[in-house]
Amino acid sequence: MKTARVIFEAGSHKWIALVRDPNRPEYLIDTNEYLVVDGDDAILLDPGGSEIFPAVFSALSAEFDPRKIDKLFASHQDPDIISSLSLWREFNPRIKCYVSWLWTSFVPHFGGDQETFVALPDGGADIMVGSQRLQAVPAHYLHSSGNFNLYDPKARILFSGDIGAALLPPDETSLFVEDFDRHIRHAEGFHRRWMGSDKAKRDWCARVSQLDIDMLCPQHGAIYRGEQVKRFIDWFAQLEVGVVKA
Amino acid sequence: MTTVSTRDTGRELRRIVHINEEIKSVVATAFKINLMAMNAIFLAKRAGQTALGFGVLSNELRRFATDLQKQMSQLREMTYGSVATVTALVKQARLSGVLDRTRRESDGLSRQLIEELMRTRHNQAYARHREQIATLKRRLGQMIADTAQLVELGSLLARSAKIEAAYGGSYSAALMQVSSDFERTIGEIQRSLESLTKQQEDPS
Ligand SMILES: [Fe+2]
Ligand SMILES: [Fe+2]
Repeated sequence: MKTARVIFEAGSHKWIALVRDPNRPEYLIDTNEYLVVDGDDAILLDPGGSEIFPAVFSALSAEFDPRKIDKLFASHQDPDIISSLSLWREFNPRIKCYVSWLWTSFVPHFGGDQETFVALPDGGADIMVGSQRLQAVPAHYLHSSGNFNLYDPKARILFSGDIGAALLPPDETSLFVEDFDRHIRHAEGFHRRWMGSDKAKRDWCARVSQLDIDMLCPQHGAIYRGEQVKRFIDWFAQLEVGVVKA
Repeated sequence: MTTVSTRDTGRELRRIVHINEEIKSVVATAFKINLMAMNAIFLAKRAGQTALGFGVLSNELRRFATDLQKQMSQLREMTYGSVATVTALVKQARLSGVLDRTRRESDGLSRQLIEELMRTRHNQAYARHREQIATLKRRLGQMIADTAQLVELGSLLARSAKIEAAYGGSYSAALMQVSSDFERTIGEIQRSLESLTKQQEDPS
């Protein structure tokens, strides 16, 4: 089972990270899921693949009534992001899934119908959770061609999807990045190979530099905090991407 | 708690594939009979007065081959329909498996939720699919039985043709050859249908 860790809390506004499943088979990539709660309302970010649904569901239930989850945010269309959709729909058939307009006719292969999807335009959109306005921030081509981050101005958290992802060795289980230089080595190969566009990358760096970010939360690996956020953006800005061989 | 096993549904899919293969071979054979019957009709015409009865039977055999082809295409349509049903069942089985794993990993409220879900919506859907498959199987069984009857008629025609061949005068040997071919080929179809029936009745 995964662990649910509260990474931000102010009144009834909360961020819960669902991380590190010790029983996960090695052939599946490890993923982080995040639940943003505001009062009685919540949105689940990158709910994950159907294979890890049991781990996510049971960890999440410890913190929040799963029947009340009526919103999913899919940063992009990958199976490790959203192939559990049909399972979440079992609990709430009216659940909404926010995803780039590019993928609204692709993701239904994992489940859902025309009522399920809320298409995000390329420029981004606001998503209300309780009384809190979250922002879907464009991050196209990083790595998916229709790709969004989610920014929470109140918590000052940016959920960055595959950006900032690190494929950590099994013994590195810390929730937060401890030693940036050591950590980033596990992120480098992934960013070079998966991220497709240098121009898109520069755009993204410029865009998120304008945001006030305390925590940058990727879908794989550890969370960047404080100074590390800027360090990551600077590191990414100068990294050569779209490279097949190092 | 009952869960749909992927083994069950895998077996259903394999059964359908097997049936489809068998149908394909019957269709090919029916096509062959049609050609053979056409040749027999020409042969009977050449043999003239002595092979009148044989000519009539050849015409009947040709009609039989056409009927058989029609029957087989209906059978095939039906098995395609069952692929959709079985696919839904496979999906249900997979879902059921994940839910069961979730149940085992959960406790308290979440476990209760899962159990409730599995009991109601899930098992209902499963029962509905099983029923659909049972209905399909019944219809398929009926259709195979009808086909077997048709083929029995074909077999009778072939045997009669053999008897008629004996009166074929100088063409007797050639007509005998043709009617033996009919008999043998229809025999092949009978064996295919027997295999289909067995596949249908096999509870495993
Ligand atoms: Fe991805
Ligand atoms: Fe990913």
